[in-house]
Amino acid sequence: MSLFWFVVGQLASTETMSTSKKVITREEWEKKLNDVKIRKEDMNKLVMNFLVTEGYVEAAEKFRMESGTEPDIDLATITDRMAVKKAVQSGNVEDAIEKVNDLNPEILDTNPQLFFHLQQQRLIELIRNGKVEEALEFAQEELAPRGEENQSFLEELERTVALLAFEDVSNCPVGDLLDISQRLKTASEVNAAILTSQSHEKDPKLPSLLKMLIWAQNQLDEKAAYPRINDLSTAALEDPSI
Amino acid sequence: MVNDREPGFNCSLLSDLGARLWNPDQDVSMEEKEEVPTHLNPINSSGGFHVVSTDKLAVHYTSSQLHGHDVGVVQANCPAPVKTLAYYFEIFVKNAGLKGQIAIGFTCENFKMRRQPGWEANSYGYHGDDGLLYRGQGKGESFGPTFTSGDTIGGGINYATQEFFFTKNGKLVGTVYKDVKGPLFPTIAVHSQNEEVHVNFGQQQFVFDIEAFELEERRKQQIMIEKESLPLSLSHLIVRSYLIHYGYEETLNSFDAASRTTLPPVHVAQENGFMEESEMYALNHRKILRQLIRNGEIDSAFSKLREWYPQLVQKETSTICFLLHCQKFIELVRAGLLEAAVNYARAELAKFFKDSPLCSLLQECIALLAYEEPQNSPVGHFLNMAQREAVADAINTTILSTNPNLKDSQHCLHSHLEKLLRQLSACCLERRALNGDQGEAFHLHKVLSSGSKGDRR
Repeated sequence: MSLFWFVVGQLASTETMSTSKKVITREEWEKKLNDVKIRKEDMNKLVMNFLVTEGYVEAAEKFRMESGTEPDIDLATITDRMAVKKAVQSGNVEDAIEKVNDLNPEILDTNPQLFFHLQQQRLIELIRNGKVEEALEFAQEELAPRGEENQSFLEELERTVALLAFEDVSNCPVGDLLDISQRLKTASEVNAAILTSQSHEKDPKLPSLLKMLIWAQNQLDEKAAYPRINDLSTAALEDPSI
Repeated sequence: MVNDREPGFNCSLLSDLGARLWNPDQDVSMEEKEEVPTHLNPINSSGGFHVVSTDKLAVHYTSSQLHGHDVGVVQANCPAPVKTLAYYFEIFVKNAGLKGQIAIGFTCENFKMRRQPGWEANSYGYHGDDGLLYRGQGKGESFGPTFTSGDTIGGGINYATQEFFFTKNGKLVGTVYKDVKGPLFPTIAVHSQNEEVHVNFGQQQFVFDIEAFELEERRKQQIMIEKESLPLSLSHLIVRSYLIHYGYEETLNSFDAASRTTLPPVHVAQENGFMEESEMYALNHRKILRQLIRNGEIDSAFSKLREWYPQLVQKETSTICFLLHCQKFIELVRAGLLEAAVNYARAELAKFFKDSPLCSLLQECIALLAYEEPQNSPVGHFLNMAQREAVADAINTTILSTNPNLKDSQHCLHSHLEKLLRQLSACCLERRALNGDQGEAFHLHKVLSSGSKGDRR
């Protein structure tokens, strides 16, 4: 009898052991944090990678001088890339296409989707500026042949041309195409394509690492209660809730 | 001891420096080194029924006995490493012998030799004669194709998904959940006359593209991570606060100027104006001192400090004085002014020998004198630009600690970016520790050195 209860007790305690979370106090956690080695040089690289990828060319140049960190790309190419991006953002698509081809003609040759999106953006800009005739001609000559090659291009073309059917585009179902966000979307697509052509990652590493931190904390939550950083912008450590 | 006013602060400052400055070549990934299987272990094998080749990379069943307890099993010399994303090895079936009863799998340390992997508890095996997968019992389950002479079969452990996986001639056959803890040995078995199997622990190119497998696994994980959403402009904010923390003032000004014209506009929260002001503390002073130290102008740095922060350099034996005197000495060695360096050391550095925590650092530094080419000596790292940067960082942090608005001197020790990265590393390490030490750890250095070239998503 007593042995039976002893065994049951043992089972129960191992049961709670395996299901309850490990609790890590602030003191223990801070010790672990202190044991982590982060190289200054690596943080500098991370910051430089952000400046370069996001196109802060002057800041990247200054950072190179102030911290001695070498950028992972020729800084001159950032200026060109940003010029293309700006051109799309301000609606000068023809100019942007020319600039991309000056940079590297292969970018558009090997990227039919990007080329189509740029042409589509050009059509949108023509419609925005009320150049109906020019828009029609452009759609028929430049875009329609591409639509025949690709079903999704055709659908996008039809959606764009639909803009012409509305006198007042503010209430039309495809009005979002005229939104500034459409320009930004196209601009970031070109930006990414140029970066890829320069063997550079199209996204900076920092946002991914921050997402990884959120993810890693969520993962660890399943197994332990420990001091978390809930507000990434202050990086303040908060005591575990037990 | 070094500074009576804030011993705690100086202590962490020193340990921080110790990590950064005095061992710059220490590679963090060294801690991850584990023994990996390189050959078969003929001692820990069933013996009698088979022969392990002299290079310990092949096994041959010579006996004609076929009893279920006469299996020719042999384990690798050590268990599969666990602190990695995946482990993998391959076998080549040279000869399927009489019955082709060949198996590949993983077994625990006290596996009962003379039995097929998978037949006993805590063992897993993919068997060639029936293509079945065995896990812990004599009855197999349907898994993949059979394999025979000329086939290359692989067995692996995916620590990210906690699965075993098996391959045939370079193609993935299938996976099975790894329901076993503790070390696992790569294991092969032969069980009919003339069966001959060669094993490849990675000494030769694998038939299966394990790099692509790992890349795909990382990509899957990355997709999960990318699903997390970030507050607007968070990265921007963190970069900005990094520049402020380290006093990279000119970069900050360019960054801010550019941010005002970016599209889409960057939204930097307005409400923390006070915090901002506190972060901006002594920005210009910190920038100037960093520039001076980076240029090796230590005397000027000293005089600026005396002018702006006399309390920091008042005490001749403070850590900050020690670092600057050391740096001055290093600059003299760099300039080849060895006599001046010796005189300087006698005048300014000798007194620090009394201070035990600094003593060993000082000794290393002075050792520069012992080498004809100090740049290429074991202490040559003192002459690197990173050394100047590290001293500048230490001065920067010390100045930050004089901010009267600061609640806690520990608070200013690290930038927000560094705090977040430390938290990330600690979370990954802790999670792994709670998972039987299995899987990869997070290393910023690896993240940064991977992917910039070639890895196009």
